[in-house]
Amino acid sequence: MNTQKLLGIGAFVIAVYVAVPLAIALSGRWDFYYTLTSVALLSVASAGVWLTFYIGRINIGQGAYALAGGYVSAILVTTAGVSFWLTLPLAGVFCAALSVLIGLPILRLRGVYFAMVTLVLTEVARLTALALPVTNGAKGITSIPLPGEVSILGLTLIPDFATLGNPKLAFYFMAVTLMVICYACLWRIVNSRLGHLCRSLQQNEELAASIGVNTAYLRVLAYSISSFFGGIAGAMFVAISQSIYPSSFQVADSVNFMLNCFLGGLGYVFGPMLGTLLLYFGWDLLFTTGRYQLLIYSSLMIALMLVLPNGLLSLFDRKGGRK
Amino acid sequence: MEQILANGLYLGAQYALIALGLTLIFSLMNVLNFAHGQMYVLGGFVTYTVVAQFGLPFIVGLVASAVVLAVVGAGVERFLFRPVVARSKREESTMLLAAGIAFFLDAVILLLFGEKQRGVPKIVNGVFNWDFRLVMPYDRILIGVLAIAMIAGFIALMQYTRAGRAMRALAQDRMAAQLMGVDVERYSMLGFALGAMLAGLVGGLLVTITGVNLGMGGPTSIKAFLMIMIGGAGVISGAIAGGFILGMMESIGLTLLAAYGDITYLVIFASLMVFLAFRPQGLMGKPWG
Amino acid sequence: MNRRTLLKSTALAAAASLVFFGAASAQNPVLKIGFVGVTSGPAAAWGISNQRSMETRAAWLNELGGVEIDGQKYDVQIVAFDDQKDPKRAIAGMEKMAQEGIHYVVGPNVDDGAAAVRPVAEQNGIMYFPYAFPKELYTAPASNAILGMVANYQSGPAIYKYLMENNGVKKVAFVAANESDPLSQRDGGVEAAKALGLEVVSDSVTYQVDTTDFTPVLLPVLQSQPDLLVLSGVSPANAPQLIRSARELGYTGLISTETAQDATVLQEGAGELANGFISVGGASTPELASDAMREFVDRYTKMFGEYNDESNTKVYALEYILETIKANPAAMNDVEEFKKTMDTFEAPNPFMVGDAKLTYVGTTSFGQKRQVSVPLVVNEFKDGAFQTLFVAQVD
Repeated sequence: MNTQKLLGIGAFVIAVYVAVPLAIALSGRWDFYYTLTSVALLSVASAGVWLTFYIGRINIGQGAYALAGGYVSAILVTTAGVSFWLTLPLAGVFCAALSVLIGLPILRLRGVYFAMVTLVLTEVARLTALALPVTNGAKGITSIPLPGEVSILGLTLIPDFATLGNPKLAFYFMAVTLMVICYACLWRIVNSRLGHLCRSLQQNEELAASIGVNTAYLRVLAYSISSFFGGIAGAMFVAISQSIYPSSFQVADSVNFMLNCFLGGLGYVFGPMLGTLLLYFGWDLLFTTGRYQLLIYSSLMIALMLVLPNGLLSLFDRKGGRK
Repeated sequence: MEQILANGLYLGAQYALIALGLTLIFSLMNVLNFAHGQMYVLGGFVTYTVVAQFGLPFIVGLVASAVVLAVVGAGVERFLFRPVVARSKREESTMLLAAGIAFFLDAVILLLFGEKQRGVPKIVNGVFNWDFRLVMPYDRILIGVLAIAMIAGFIALMQYTRAGRAMRALAQDRMAAQLMGVDVERYSMLGFALGAMLAGLVGGLLVTITGVNLGMGGPTSIKAFLMIMIGGAGVISGAIAGGFILGMMESIGLTLLAAYGDITYLVIFASLMVFLAFRPQGLMGKPWG
Repeated sequence: MNRRTLLKSTALAAAASLVFFGAASAQNPVLKIGFVGVTSGPAAAWGISNQRSMETRAAWLNELGGVEIDGQKYDVQIVAFDDQKDPKRAIAGMEKMAQEGIHYVVGPNVDDGAAAVRPVAEQNGIMYFPYAFPKELYTAPASNAILGMVANYQSGPAIYKYLMENNGVKKVAFVAANESDPLSQRDGGVEAAKALGLEVVSDSVTYQVDTTDFTPVLLPVLQSQPDLLVLSGVSPANAPQLIRSARELGYTGLISTETAQDATVLQEGAGELANGFISVGGASTPELASDAMREFVDRYTKMFGEYNDESNTKVYALEYILETIKANPAAMNDVEEFKKTMDTFEAPNPFMVGDAKLTYVGTTSFGQKRQVSVPLVVNEFKDGAFQTLFVAQVD
């Protein structure tokens, strides 16, 4: 069982680092780099949403943190001249701290109430970005420089993106690395004592509290990890588009993050990754269908839900056992 | 002042009617219907087609909207939500389905009715003007009154008919209702149809004033969520209260905060979040609805 | 198990149909022109009128045997990508265009999308024609974006000046949706109005785009008693409602906007209350439209059932691309050649009567020629149709 798992992880890592670039080089579909980079980053944000699902909360507010993270990075890079690589963790930490402040009151809500409050949160984030002077309001922040060089003792660890012939590939590797790290963390969390406690919250909060679980602390912790993921994903996107506007992440994004989790399956750590891949890639692939794109896309989504209401990964359940 | 209150009342009546349908569906099925706004838009387009394209009287358009949306609602419940609810492990999974339906309706509306803003001519001309203290066009007054009449009708239906009682029983305790011999499947379908019909009716009513375009669906759903959050999810009185409160908040907020401009809605939304932090189940909701 | 095989076969069939979709055969070699914009969701109207204009014109040209470039006839094919008004998707769309070997793209329709695609367009050698106004897109060092219409900071001052001189406007109020594009346009408009010496009596009121009742929004604005109410960056959906609410509240002054509107939408939404409403249009006023323009409108109507007046402006981008490539065939696969040609390019404007010319302009606003020259037509709405108020040129 364990070796099988290790093999699986090894195969996955090889796939994303070697097989995918190779396949792209062979087929000449260079545009897939950006698509896959997006998938990787969106799945990082979705991973955060999944973690809040794990404690039994429907989170439709991840877009707010992605936007906040994006702005933190953009502002630090443009006004303070901080290296992008430093702003990346800072964006995450800022969002985590912010989410503690916001989470303390709203995590008392459950079910649809929490879902709807977080939905409003996304809109609040957009309106805040429009109103604040530091975000440059409606005009957004544009012409953000590409990530610079990182070196230790003259040894270049990460080259200056502006000098690269193919920043697409660099962004792809960066995003995929981020994704692998995040999912490794997520997997570790779920299979730790913390994960067990979170599951107990999902099943019955009162019961968990009654046997001495510090539910309030646990909820805020899970929510802040979730927001951390959202923040770094947002910051990375800003580095790619070199611009950010209040509408860079909006309600539709928040909803999509949540849908990714549903589609992949709420019971599976890698569910959000698969869900993101399908939802995002699906739209891109359907682009040749022109005006019927949305119709086909949504029909497929409904059909999928009818056939597999517990997410795609529940296919494996029926085969027997593996989880 | 009179003007602000009148605006709030008018907004509140239409909001409450939207929220009613959403909350009804939620109370019966525990489904947060993301497609509610799209149903509202569909209702608007049906009325537009009947009135502006076929040249039939407004009331016919309104009835057509109600019928079409009731059929759509019943179909959605019978063929989509029922099988999924029966087989999914976590009932939140229906959110994906609801969102899928929202996208689907968006696509269908775009293909059938086009991308343009649509509207039908005013049904009543003239403006009620009380010395510029209170200015209200007659058609708005008419629509406001119609909306309030519909709310009253809906309450009467829920209160005094057999179907209404059955649906209320379902909302309170699905299991117990079933044990008492209520045909759960039938009334779930009826409730869904009724909820969708309400959305369609508001769409039909408002097409004479604000018109309709395919982009209104999503934002309308979000507004409806806000209202049932204020009032308490799944509670009919809560939806009505929520609708009127949001209408008043917008009306008063826009006047008071006009000088600060860009932050009006920020203040409205932020104060809602604070309110919910103190009262998580809304004004009248069951805790943890 | 059965269900799974069914699933698989459906997926396969779907994938297969996708691969073969659109592989229509053409005798001429194909010249692909891209479109990246929003054709679904709330802002669908902007992108759809755009895409349809391009498709109509392309079908027309192909029917005539194609576009002749350097002695070779090409069929024009429009490759469209729906970005859902999401800047992240817009980047994906631009990547897709690069993948298709496309060098000329029309769109995106909004500020954030236009800014987001800039790195991709510059890396892949793509010229794009956004319908977004931020100046940094068009001023150096940016060089791949060409503004596809007249910007509000160009049309606004012209309108205000005209109204000052002809209608004695002194006090002006602005109202905008709280979204990036309208707010930026409002700020630009306020600046222009102040520069002209107008008194700005209200410029802070905003509204949510999904507002269903504009009375509370407009009350404080109208209390400031402006002579001119400017609806900055107003979407065609909101315009009739705003006009109607303002009139019903007893406002008698002028109302104007710097965005293009649709006459049918105004007529349906506001009826005679919209009379006198001033907006920016394209080149299809009866006085200006050439036979070609009329035929374009006919063909558009035949293809899609109903014309959209916004297309009056949006017909131009494709024409500029094709004519510039005709003038310098080397530009077909090399945008640097295109840029060189832009400075001196001149061709007759087929959509306007008289000897109007297609040229690139924008030196005053951007310091380089990064804007298509379309006539700045200012319209007045009257009983269901637009009447030309005045025509100006942007340099």
